Amino acid sequence: MSFSTQDELDRNAGSIEAEETLRLIASLPAPQGIEDRVKSGVRAAHRQASVMSWPNASANKAGWTQMSAMRVAAAAAIVFVVAGGGWEVYSHFRLATVPTAVAAPQRIDGSAGLSAAAAKRTPKTLDGPVVAAPVKHGSGEGKGNMLPQGRVMRPLAEKSSVPAQR
Amino acid sequence: MEIVESAVHDEARQRAQEEALEALVEQYATTLYRVAFSVLRNQSDAEDAVQEAFLRVLRHRETLGEIRDHRVWLIRIVWNIVLDRKRRAKTRPETDDIAELARVLPASGLTAEQRAAAAQHHARVMACVEKLPAREREVMVLSAFEELTSVEIAAVLDVTESSVRSRLFRARNLLAELLDHPRSIR
Repeated sequence: MSFSTQDELDRNAGSIEAEETLRLIASLPAPQGIEDRVKSGVRAAHRQASVMSWPNASANKAGWTQMSAMRVAAAAAIVFVVAGGGWEVYSHFRLATVPTAVAAPQRIDGSAGLSAAAAKRTPKTLDGPVVAAPVKHGSGEGKGNMLPQGRVMRPLAEKSSVPAQR
Repeated sequence: MEIVESAVHDEARQRAQEEALEALVEQYATTLYRVAFSVLRNQSDAEDAVQEAFLRVLRHRETLGEIRDHRVWLIRIVWNIVLDRKRRAKTRPETDDIAELARVLPASGLTAEQRAAAAQHHARVMACVEKLPAREREVMVLSAFEELTSVEIAAVLDVTESSVRSRLFRARNLLAELLDHPRSIR
């Protein structure tokens, strides 16, 4: 017997040994009463499934649900209730009317710093600069009052009667 | 009148389905348990897997009449369940396997010491089996069931019979190698 053949036989022996272990495990007996436990589990699940499939389950006790007319009536009643409820809500729902005028905030007069609540305070601003019409100078007037052409004399801004803002 | 007849018919059909299912449990629960145990190697897990398999059958009870070979069909269901469970479960330490094997292995005529040694040996073999590639391992585990032919193994794994044979050949060689040199992986 050659070395390689011996080696191969040893390997086969190892494999056979392993398969024996697998066979031993595969042939282990099942625990006692496994069938009963599985059966009771299946029965419980079956009952649960029957409850879930309501129309078929109740048909055994009372056959009224089998009648298609009753089913249609039940469906129609459900639709009616849902639609009625929807309409009830819709009919009580009013859209806001578009206002014809907008209430403007009360303008504070400048006399006091205080005013009614919620009034909007808008500070009075100074009047803008006023452009005066160019002065026409007579022939008898002095040359010193003359402005160069194109230049406009701006008067001083009027002093505001409104007290300064604090 | 028609309603009553329909209700009676429904009840009879339901009763028949229930009886058929119970007959299947009676006939195949043990086989399915052994298949489940060979993969999960835990009694309660294996029993749970069997329960789940029959619950799946219950869900598809309408198709029971169309099944040609109930045994292979059921083994295929439980096989898929256990593989799925094993994939999801964390790998248990090897010591757990040894303890479980020592508990379930037949102990007639063996001393406690011999029993422990045998359990250790089997656990070592199973650890080597675990190291096999999935395809080879699956064929190897299923081939240990004497009641399963290679055609039936092919049906369970949804492959051809020649594929089963070639995988089994490869599995044996790899297993022998692993048992010779436990550290060599694939």
